[in-house]
This record gives sequence, C-alpha cells and structure tokens, in this order.
Amino acid sequence: MTTPRIVDHPILGKAEEGRRVSIWVDGDEIEAIEGEPVATALLAAGIHVLHYTHKYNHPRGVYCAIGRCTDCIMTVNGKPNVRTCVTPVEKGMKIETQRGLGSWEHER
Amino acid sequence: MIETELAIVGAGPAGLSAAIEAARAGVEVTVIDENAKPGGQLFKQIHKFFGSKEHRAGVRGFTIGHHLLEETRKLGVTILLDTKVWGIFKDLTLGISRGEEMDLVKAQKILLATGAIETPLSFPGWTLPGVMGAGAAQTLVNLHRVLPGRRFLMVGSGNVGLIVAYQLLQAGAEVSAVIDIAPIIGGYGVHASKIKRQGVRILPSYTILEAQGQEKVEQAIIAQMGQDGKAVPGTEETLEVDCICLAVGLNPLAELAWIAGCVFDYKGDRGGFIPKHTRRMETTVPGIFVAGDIAGIDEASCAMEEGKIAATAIAESLGRIKPIQGKRKIEKMGKNLNTLRSGPFGAARRKRARFLMQRGYAIAGSGLDYSGALSPGELKKIPGVPSERRMKKGPVAFLECNQNIPCDPCELACPRGAIRVGQPVTNLPVLKEEKCTGCGICIPSCPGLAIFVVDQSKKGREATLRLPYEFFPWPEAGSVVPALNREGKIVTTARVLKVSSAKAHDRTAVVTISVPKEFALEVRAIGPKPRVIP
Repeated sequence: MTTPRIVDHPILGKAEEGRRVSIWVDGDEIEAIEGEPVATALLAAGIHVLHYTHKYNHPRGVYCAIGRCTDCIMTVNGKPNVRTCVTPVEKGMKIETQRGLGSWEHER
Repeated sequence: MIETELAIVGAGPAGLSAAIEAARAGVEVTVIDENAKPGGQLFKQIHKFFGSKEHRAGVRGFTIGHHLLEETRKLGVTILLDTKVWGIFKDLTLGISRGEEMDLVKAQKILLATGAIETPLSFPGWTLPGVMGAGAAQTLVNLHRVLPGRRFLMVGSGNVGLIVAYQLLQAGAEVSAVIDIAPIIGGYGVHASKIKRQGVRILPSYTILEAQGQEKVEQAIIAQMGQDGKAVPGTEETLEVDCICLAVGLNPLAELAWIAGCVFDYKGDRGGFIPKHTRRMETTVPGIFVAGDIAGIDEASCAMEEGKIAATAIAESLGRIKPIQGKRKIEKMGKNLNTLRSGPFGAARRKRARFLMQRGYAIAGSGLDYSGALSPGELKKIPGVPSERRMKKGPVAFLECNQNIPCDPCELACPRGAIRVGQPVTNLPVLKEEKCTGCGICIPSCPGLAIFVVDQSKKGREATLRLPYEFFPWPEAGSVVPALNREGKIVTTARVLKVSSAKAHDRTAVVTISVPKEFALEVRAIGPKPRVIP
C-alpha cells in the first residue's frame, strides 16, 4: 500500500516539508511530522484503533477530527484522555492505546 | 479580566466577517476561538464558492479564509486562540480558559458564532474505526493531508456529502457510492454531476444497514429503501470500503446560548434547536447576538452575511453608526441573504425537508428531482445550451446549469456579454449564442464546473471539446485517455490536445480534447483511470 499522505494535490499543491520526528506508539517508533495532530500521524502510519471503550472494550478511532467527540482519546506522555486529533506532535512523544478510562502514568 | 466592547465566540466565516464589519465601524473587537488556528471550517473548503461577486463567488473557501484573516490583521482585531469559552454570565461576561489558565472577558455585546457539529447516524457497526463524519474526512484530507481510507462510502447526498466525495477523488481516493435515504439528491446538481461523470454511483433511496469489520471498517452493507422507510429485502449490496463518511446534516453548536438563557425554536430544516433571533441577529437575551450555523445551518456565504448583519446591529447599538444608516445597511444585507436562500432550489429544499421530517429525521439539506446527469431532454430546455444551428458554426459554450442556485461568476467572466444571469442571482445563465465566440474564458469561472466548449464545425470526423479539470496528474498533451459521459461511463477515447491553466483559473485546468463527432455532446469528462469500483 502506498502512503496515505497526500504529497501533491491538484488544488493545494505540494505538501509543505514538515520536520520529520520520531514518536513512540505502544513502544514502536513511527515517523510523524512535527506539529501535525497526533491522530493524523497515526493514520499515516496505518494505525486506526486509538482506544478501547470502558464498558465493552470496543475499538474506537477518529470520528470528528475537530476535538469534540473524544473518540480519539489516547494516553499521551502518561496523561490519559488526550484528544489526539487536536494535540500537536512533539518530538519523542510517548503515545499509548488507551484501555477504558486509562490511568495516569505516575499512579501505575 | 479582559475588557472589550464586542466579544465574538468563534473565528469562522461568521465570526471573522462580523469582526471585520464591526472593527471598520470603530468597535473594539475580541475574537475567541478554541482552535490553534482561526478560520473555522473555511480552510478545509477547497472548492470554489457559489454566490455573486459581493459574496466572493468563484473564490475557493480557504482563499476567502486568508482574505478574512488578512483583513482582521489590518484592522487590529484581537484574536485569542487555543482559548475555550466555558461560561457566559448575565452581565455579558465570558469565562475563558487557555491551557491551565482561567480568565474573564467582560463585554458590552457578545456575538456567538460557534458554528455546528456534524449530525451522527447510528447503525450496527457505526462505532468502528473508519466510520467518521464527512467533515472529519475533509479535515484530515485537506488540512492535514492524510487519507483515512482508500475506498469510501458517502452516506448523505447534501452539498457536504457531494463536495467531500469530490474532494476525496481529488486526494486520490476512490468513492464506491454516495447514498441517501431521500428519493432525490440533496445538494446542488452541479456538485452531483462532478462526481457522477467520474463514475461515482449516486444512489437515492438507499440506506446503510451495517458497517462490518474486526477492528476497523472492512465492508459496508447498503440496501434500497422502500416506501415504508424500511430496507427492501433482496436489495442488499456489500461494498468493499475501508471508510464510511456520514454527511447527514449538521446541528448548531448552541451550548453557550442555552447557558445564557436564550429562548430556542425548533427548526428541523435548519438543523434543530436554534436560538430565537431577530432580523438583526439579536437573541432574546439583550446584548447577545448569533450568526452563522448557530442561527440555523446554511452555506458559508450566508454565515458571512449574517455576521455582517449582527456586527452592523451591534455597531449601531454602541452608537458607532447612526440608526438610519444601520437600518439601511441591515435591510440591504437582509436582501442579499434572502437572495442566497431564494429560488426554486430553495423551494425544493423545503420539499425535501418535509419528506425527511415526516419520517422523523432532523435534516439540513436541499434538493431537486435530478439524477446528477443531464438527460438529452433536459439539455434542450436549458437556456445555457446553444441551438444546433449555432453548434455547427464554430466553438460555442455549453452552460450546463439547470438549477436556480445563487451564482453568477460566469456572467462576469464573459468579456463579450454572451452570458446573462441578471437579477435575481438565482436565474439560470442564458447563453447569447450569437455573441459567444467559444473562447472558453468562462470554463474555469464556474464553481460548479458545468461549462464546456464544444466545436463541431471542423471538417473531418473529430470534434474538439474543452472541459474543466481538477485532478492529478494532469493528462499529457498527445496522450489518449478514456472519455466519459455525464453518467461516468467510458464511451470512447479522447486525444488530449492541450492542458492550460492560467493563474486566474485558480488551479482549475482547462483540457482540450478531440473526440469522434458523434460523442461531442455526450463526453463531459476524461479519466486517467476509471473511478468505478464494483
């Protein structure tokens, strides 16, 4: 499969060359563009399941992409329930697929 | 505590237009937005807008966004970004937070321009990753430049569904189908035509039964809707898609108006509960105004007009413009707004709204009985299509516009006065065929990409055709490509003669092709690849 990133576009032109950084998803390194939403970086890496629901353990992914629905919440740098669709990527970020309500890293 | 004359919540088209209008009148404005960037949803709108010149018709949404931002900067409007409004108090004070910090904004007037959220639609499997709002897909693709899937199903054929389907094609994805429970296409016919002629199926009277997949969407099951509003057994169809987009309407984001104690009205055809407001956009709470989707779902052009009306009313009540002046301005803008919403298309939209509401759906769509592809019979009735006598004489424009939508850039584009829309702006464009030279300047001006130039006058078996083209990669001159009819079926092959794109075309290329004469009236698109998926 080719990359889901849209490199060139008939209306928007070529994508800006963002700074490529590494982030860590459940311990695996993936490449992301600094400043883009975390969820976008995950989709570009083919990761669609972002958290599992509290009660039934159902998978959830990006739904609204504008920070309102909270389906994309994950544990970011040890902080649970972070809306990844509106959280910009920082170099070396640690992202975890969240199970249920999640937990704070320092409490684990 | 921050003190300001006018606090605007939401930096989208309505909020920014209001900020500009108010600042021009000398009002001190503070705009607050929860996002990191201003512009609301404008920056993901990469299509050319409809409307007339004063509504910046023919300009792409994100370009309008840039213009608005530029203007607010020039006027010195304060925009607080990454800032959430969490409360609104009786004395017109807003509670805001930025990160961990809290503050209050004390205003003399407040304008709520908070926009809307996409209406969800629940069906078995709808919580699977890969089911998302159409606007969400649009955000991911046009703003963040990542495709959330490869093959899409679009649920809903209103303008959002049709436009996003087209933009998914532009981003290189495939669209398996656009379905709608209503028996008619909801959005503008020209938007439907753009995807139909690329081979996308549009299926009215269809519903989604289920999204299937283990951890994410792998398939969608759709079926035809019967008269009773239930799926017709035996019509089920499984689509191999990995993303399902929901474009089934929008709902006003009106929490702040609720908290403020505004009285609400239920208006199903405008998206549900909306704060009651006057023609000056003032709610039932004195000093609190609304504009844009919070005041009823509509196009961005309407949101901008409403923003200006509210700002004018506010400037007047703050004593910055004289009441008589304000009254005149508001009357004029109100007329503009009515024009944007008028015409038979508006009537059809109400008809469709009734159909859906009788079945218990809250909607914000619009429609005409139209398949998305003009039939030869329909073509003959359109005033923008030349006579056969004229066709034989030389190149001539075909204005394939058959709905009374508010739009007139074609009229302004023609330097010879061969296109007449006139007033109201919802008139169909009339082609004065004796004045048309077939120059094709009008082709990229049409936001609906519904203008073509056909030349059948040359000797030999070939006719030349010029058509608008917004896909990548551009075809190469000299290459042979599949030629598609209005239904999206490959009917013949075309030879590409020329691809041109002037700066003024704003990235709508004009492709000149030659096809056998017998297909000259049929071919309306070319495909680097057919975009039909079984």
